[in-house]
Amino acid sequence: MRKETEATVGLILVFFASTYALEGQELLGDRSDGSRATPLHLIPLYAENKDGEKGEQIEPGAEFPMPFSMSWTCGECHSYGLVKKGWHFNAVDSNVAPGRPGQPWIYFAPKLCIQIPLSYRQWPGTFRPAQVGLTEFQFTRIFGRHMPGGGPGEVQTTEVDEIARQFVSGTLEINCLACHNAHHGQDMGGPGGYAVQVSRQNFRWAAAASCEFASVKGSAAAVPETYDPFLPDPDEKNAPRVTYRKEAFNENNEVLLQIVREVPNQRCYYCHSNLYYSQPEKAERWALDEDIHLTAGLRCVDCHRNGIDHNIVRGYAEESVHSSNPLAATSSCEGCHLSQGKDQPQAGRLGAPVPKHKGLPPSHLKKLTCTACHSGPWPGNETILTKTSRAHRLGTPNVNKAQEVLPHIIAPVFARQEGRIAAGPWHGLPARENTVKMAVPLVPAKPGERGKIAPHKLIWPAYWAVIEGDQVKPVAIGVIEKVVGKVFADLELPGTGDWPKITKEKIAEALKALGAAVESEAVYVAGGTLYRLDGSRELAEEVDHPAAAPYMWPIAHDVRPAAQSLGARQCEDCHSPDAPFFKSLVCIDSPVQGDGGVFKQMIDMYEFGGPVYVRVNWFFKVLIIGVMTLLILHILGDLYRRFITKVQTLKFKNKNCGIAAKRR
Amino acid sequence: MRQMSGIKTKEREFFQRFGLQFRVQHTLLFLSTITLIITGVPLWCMGRPGYSWSQAVVRAFGSIETIRYIHRAGAAVLILVSIYHLFYTVFTKEGRREFIELLPRWKDVSDVTINSLYFLGLLKYRPSFGRYTYYEKFDYWAVYWGCVIMIGTGLVLWFPQVAAKYVPWFTYELAAEVHGDEAILAALALFIWHFYNVHFNPSLFPGTLLWWHGKISGEEMMRDHVLEYYKTVLAQTKSKDQKADSQSGTTV
Repeated sequence: MRKETEATVGLILVFFASTYALEGQELLGDRSDGSRATPLHLIPLYAENKDGEKGEQIEPGAEFPMPFSMSWTCGECHSYGLVKKGWHFNAVDSNVAPGRPGQPWIYFAPKLCIQIPLSYRQWPGTFRPAQVGLTEFQFTRIFGRHMPGGGPGEVQTTEVDEIARQFVSGTLEINCLACHNAHHGQDMGGPGGYAVQVSRQNFRWAAAASCEFASVKGSAAAVPETYDPFLPDPDEKNAPRVTYRKEAFNENNEVLLQIVREVPNQRCYYCHSNLYYSQPEKAERWALDEDIHLTAGLRCVDCHRNGIDHNIVRGYAEESVHSSNPLAATSSCEGCHLSQGKDQPQAGRLGAPVPKHKGLPPSHLKKLTCTACHSGPWPGNETILTKTSRAHRLGTPNVNKAQEVLPHIIAPVFARQEGRIAAGPWHGLPARENTVKMAVPLVPAKPGERGKIAPHKLIWPAYWAVIEGDQVKPVAIGVIEKVVGKVFADLELPGTGDWPKITKEKIAEALKALGAAVESEAVYVAGGTLYRLDGSRELAEEVDHPAAAPYMWPIAHDVRPAAQSLGARQCEDCHSPDAPFFKSLVCIDSPVQGDGGVFKQMIDMYEFGGPVYVRVNWFFKVLIIGVMTLLILHILGDLYRRFITKVQTLKFKNKNCGIAAKRR
Repeated sequence: MRQMSGIKTKEREFFQRFGLQFRVQHTLLFLSTITLIITGVPLWCMGRPGYSWSQAVVRAFGSIETIRYIHRAGAAVLILVSIYHLFYTVFTKEGRREFIELLPRWKDVSDVTINSLYFLGLLKYRPSFGRYTYYEKFDYWAVYWGCVIMIGTGLVLWFPQVAAKYVPWFTYELAAEVHGDEAILAALALFIWHFYNVHFNPSLFPGTLLWWHGKISGEEMMRDHVLEYYKTVLAQTKSKDQKADSQSGTTV
């Protein structure tokens, strides 16, 4: 009787909890009671059932246990629907303001000479995955390795070919453990970890495989579409299967998870690592200094904070314009390091030193971001190649560690921050598909404002497209693989993972083949140039075409302290004839023979119309040539007349001498 | 500067064209300018591709800092002589007269036209020049404009922090560009144009010491400043007559 009563009460509680969750009511873990202690997470694990609802509690001893579901396990006490609105998971929601351009996902295929920035956010210069023919399902399979789940991973596919496949693989739920599991056994990039499971289409199993008390074998991609993961077939050897470590469960089949509220840095690093090839001897991580904030003892989440809605602070100056996070305004560089107003003491947050900038003309602070002097690799005579976790699969098995491996991300590039963001519903304008890169409407963040100069990472897009009027639309990768792949079949790929070198004749050949396969005029874009066939079917080049413009996103880390900032050695750091800030060479990256490996000057990256003094130089050139030409003509005229006069005088003298002689 | 006065020698007639103050200013000006050019060229070339030889010049001086100090010393002299000239122009009778003589006039336009036609062989005679020819006036105003630009931009480069505070629109790079470009123009004009007019001109080769003693021969006066010559001779004759009249007891 007592057990029945307990069961009834339990059911009622679960019912109410579910009802609250559905109605958006707060759950147990949605709001802190003020205790700084981390709550104990000794909890049961739940699977998702065939109907996408809460399934049975996980029993490690079961013959074919299902992977536990994050939404139904963590969702017991935390509003999963609210968490999904967080920055890491909301990219596919077109109503979310894109904010400052960030790092895109970069699809690259050396064999096809493609390197194209993709994003679900409307960052000008990026393409939507659908534009290159990638469904959310395909996108997740390629890039889910460095996503904490959610977002495109949870989109139910509508593609007929993919519905059955997604039923097998499941969706890639938000992997709460990817960030909040403090256990050192959390495996994101290991041989059987999260990234590998994603590549095997084991979306449903990926979160379980990443934790320290479960392992997964098999591959959803290797079983037929008709396979039912909810009715495991013992004869299907390739089917994904999870094995739980029984010792991790107590007698109630509960597991003690080492969940922490404040995410450890190590969890962030998996997706947010950078490697700058500034100097060969410093290419190893152990030889590098880290961000000054980390050295000072701060953690990533001390600045990048969020509440239960996971609307994390990105940390840039204008973020509060389009972020609902109340800390957005005070979590940027200025927010922490400058005074908090009259009500607060004259010091930065968390003891951040208030910058003195002694002797620095104030105009610098108006024109430059803090990061221009304090972040990223020290600028040299040339830009350098950079690797990032998300672009180069850092931290996952079998990564090509060569410096030249694609995609080629170049840094540091001093360029103006957009100062403007793509228009959308958050500006009262209708949302529009980012179908054409050049057609994305831009509005100034503030009327008449020019963006500040900041250090950026840069990628030169390379892709095959069609041109319709002034619109350049990339062609689906599937088509490129069939058509261009055939033309480039004999192309030799370097072992370093670098671009293969393609000749312009080969591009023309590929464009002719692609032109026959698509309805519009085919073009190829690489290294800032648009290649197309002219009337006589010869290859024509349009240099600095807008559709070939590089995509740049600001560098935030690693932050350097004042003593290591640009300007620490006075003005000459930037204001000298060969200062990298103005004169560094920005590499133009292209697989096209003869067009790759050339350079632009840094100044061209942020003064597109040419700086004032370039026009002054032009004026003086004209002036010098004009004035000196006139003066030299004057001299020549003078000499000429002197010569003529001399000749005439001699003739006159000779004539007079002759007359005198005759007279004599 | 004193009024031109004829000095009869056994061989030639000489006139005092420039006074001491004028000559001192000119000497300081050319010494500082030559210094600035010699030290400015390697500073300008440093770090620019294709000018690796400038490293050798820097080594010859010792260091880039040494060159910079010498350059700034030369700049200080130029600034001082410019201020001196301003005071000279405003506060001395001679300076005011010279300044007025150096102002461009319509006659200069006609002189340019006539001289150009003469050079082209369309006229047989050169124009008659006064105290300053149009190309001497050009020299003067080119230096005037040059000093304003070079000193202004040079100060921005010398004191970038102060400049950025008070004239933030005048960026360091803009100043450096103008400074370098104007220096090139000034150096070319000096070595080609001015040196031709005072050194390599066949009439004056290998040069004149006018800048040293301030004297010009009657022959040169007749050739290049004929109007000034007659004006001076007339004034001298008048002065002599008046003197003679006063000595003879003013008998009418």
